Amino acid sequence: MARTAHRTHDRRIMIAMTIYVVVLVCVWPLAKAALEPVPKIGYALAPVLPLLYVIWAMGQKILHSDELEQRTHLIGIGVAAAAICVISIVSGFLAAANAMTLAATSAVLMWIFPLMMLVYGAARSYAARRYGGGACDEDERLPLYLRLLWAAVLLGVAAAYLYFRSGHAEAAGMVLGMAVTIALGSAIFAVRRWRRQRTPRE
Amino acid sequence: MNNHVRQLREQRGWSQGDLAEHLDVSRQTVNAIETSKYDPSLPLAFKIAKLFRQSIESIFVPGKE
Repeated sequence: MARTAHRTHDRRIMIAMTIYVVVLVCVWPLAKAALEPVPKIGYALAPVLPLLYVIWAMGQKILHSDELEQRTHLIGIGVAAAAICVISIVSGFLAAANAMTLAATSAVLMWIFPLMMLVYGAARSYAARRYGGGACDEDERLPLYLRLLWAAVLLGVAAAYLYFRSGHAEAAGMVLGMAVTIALGSAIFAVRRWRRQRTPRE
Repeated sequence: MNNHVRQLREQRGWSQGDLAEHLDVSRQTVNAIETSKYDPSLPLAFKIAKLFRQSIESIFVPGKE
């Protein structure tokens, strides 16, 4: 498959993630205020649709990757699955023993997917480095640091919206913290890329 | 496993990106094969051999056990 299709998948994933953040910030909060069960469920599950699309697009991307990329994807998914298993079982035991509140348990469940993506990305990056590549993004039109920067900007906007429009200071602080962390990650990848480009290849 | 992919590529004046395009893989995969960090699958090895018009065993050499 042409490598350009790879970029198409990346673009689709980024657009879907953008829609996910917008839906999460603008639509999902309506679920708490809704009284009727049908709109309540609709608002509550609205962020799931873009996430399902992201999962499908990632599956397509992996299917169309070459054999070494598929191997690094597999390592990333394996490590992420192991991490999520540990977190799930720890949370499950704590919740069953009433050592964890229902709100905390639901918060853990909501963070499983983002955490899985984070661990998957880190593990895949590590595996790719072991095979002599960087974060496997050198050939991409939109490098990893720019993608992370985009995510940080998006989360920053979401935090501002939460703080100024919705008045959820606590949630805004959490989202802003995520944005800053991702921006720092972006800066690290940008410096690494710059240093790699300065050293002659081969 | 060692291989002569880099020499064969350089003989043709190709960059790693050019070879990656011919094989429909990423540049990182070509780099990993050339540096013996990754042994290609049999289908990819056949593809490389066909591209350079050589036998697999003349390109890929078993390393020390």
